[in-house]
Amino acid sequence: MNRVLKYIYACLVVFPVIFLMAMSFAEKWRFPDFWPENWTFKNWSSSIFGQGDLLYSLIVSLGISLMLASLVCVISFFVSKEIAYSKYRKTYMKLTLIPYILSPIILAVIFQYYFAFTSLTGKILGVLIAQLFFALPFGIVIFNNFWNDKILSLEQLTFTLGATPKESLLKAVIPLSKPAIILCFFQSFLVSWFEYGLTRFIGLGKVKTLTVMVFNFINEANVFYAALACVLLVLPPIFLLYINKKALILKQ
Amino acid sequence: MSTFLELQNISKSFDEETILEDVNLSLEHQKTLSLIGASGSGKTTLLKIIAGLEKASNGNVVLNKQNINNLPPQKRKIVYLYQDALLFPHLSAFENIAFGLKLQKQKNIRNTVNAMLESLGMIEHAEKMPNQLSGGQKQRIAFGRALVIKPQLLLLDEPFGALDPKIRSNMQKLFKNLVVAQGLSSIFVTHDIKEAIIIGDGIAKIEKGKLIQFESKQSFYNTKSSGVQAEIDFWKQLKNEKE
Repeated sequence: MNRVLKYIYACLVVFPVIFLMAMSFAEKWRFPDFWPENWTFKNWSSSIFGQGDLLYSLIVSLGISLMLASLVCVISFFVSKEIAYSKYRKTYMKLTLIPYILSPIILAVIFQYYFAFTSLTGKILGVLIAQLFFALPFGIVIFNNFWNDKILSLEQLTFTLGATPKESLLKAVIPLSKPAIILCFFQSFLVSWFEYGLTRFIGLGKVKTLTVMVFNFINEANVFYAALACVLLVLPPIFLLYINKKALILKQ
Repeated sequence: MSTFLELQNISKSFDEETILEDVNLSLEHQKTLSLIGASGSGKTTLLKIIAGLEKASNGNVVLNKQNINNLPPQKRKIVYLYQDALLFPHLSAFENIAFGLKLQKQKNIRNTVNAMLESLGMIEHAEKMPNQLSGGQKQRIAFGRALVIKPQLLLLDEPFGALDPKIRSNMQKLFKNLVVAQGLSSIFVTHDIKEAIIIGDGIAKIEKGKLIQFESKQSFYNTKSSGVQAEIDFWKQLKNEKE
């Protein structure tokens, strides 16, 4: 029974990827045909190597997501520590839930005036900052459980053994927090990678991430290019998931 | 013998709550003071103040005739050992002991650590990770990690509290031997009267933030509030019932 469920699960994950991949190589595929009329590399070659619009989007998406994940990891690591050992911990943690009560697009509407005022709309930096508003509390929530009495005691122990705060951080605290850092990086990356509404609104459609491109292609009824953009959208998270799993297995 | 550590009128409050009140204590060089106290009596806070991990609201900590109130914990050479061994889970037993030596950038770390492992009877466990060690073995490594850097003063906060009686007894002997061999000064916190008597050269008791240091072990035995007489009476009564 378990094996059957495993196969069903694998099919559910693998089938959409294979289907999208097939569509990205297809040309003239009309209902009710089982197969497309032609298989072609044209979609890939023109959008990646020819016009290069999807390659550009892939680079922009990767840049924004990697930058955001790194920023969230670093900032939330230190902010969550301050919060965890503060006597107002509960209050601060309640505040971190605000971005979840309001959806990203509502947040974008609230902040749009300030982004326009600071000329950040339509720019990659603007999108990055907007996503940070949403993803940072997420990172703080992830790290919040890491900071406990045992970590505090370990940190204090390193001080009595002669470690400076920097040495304690690098040689004890960061190695201990590796699983939390990996989780935070992975989750923040995904939040940014699949973000559409906020990116579209603050980016004014000029910051063409892969999600924005997918919706553009769908609006144009260009399903083959949309499928191609989806493949590019799906592969990096799968790769990250693989690395994440491998890192955690190695850790165990 | 000269006073090595002196606490002068130490007080500590958190918000409105007083944790320690006018605590005075003295410890001679190369001696161990047992500190008895129930949970919440303020003993952990007192040790943390001595180690520099907490700031006293009032009073002075004098070590080797030097006021160390403003000295950061890194520079005090006072190691604080917790009830939990708190080994670094990402480091092997060997690396745990080498931790402090690496910070000091010492030479011959391998030989020093191996010698320490030998004296702890742990040489065959050197490459094991903490999750592969028993409670007693972890505590031995924690001792080794503290002793190998040759601290001026060792503070032990109920280090054997989580061990079973047999291992606890072995650890008490090991601790006594190591402290004597290295000529260490230490404060040993426990709530077990028997352990306090075995380990300590002197005894102090802390209750609701107030500390009484007994002049000698005999004066501790003779004080009713020490609980020693009650303990003796209990065992005598048990013996009589048995006979």
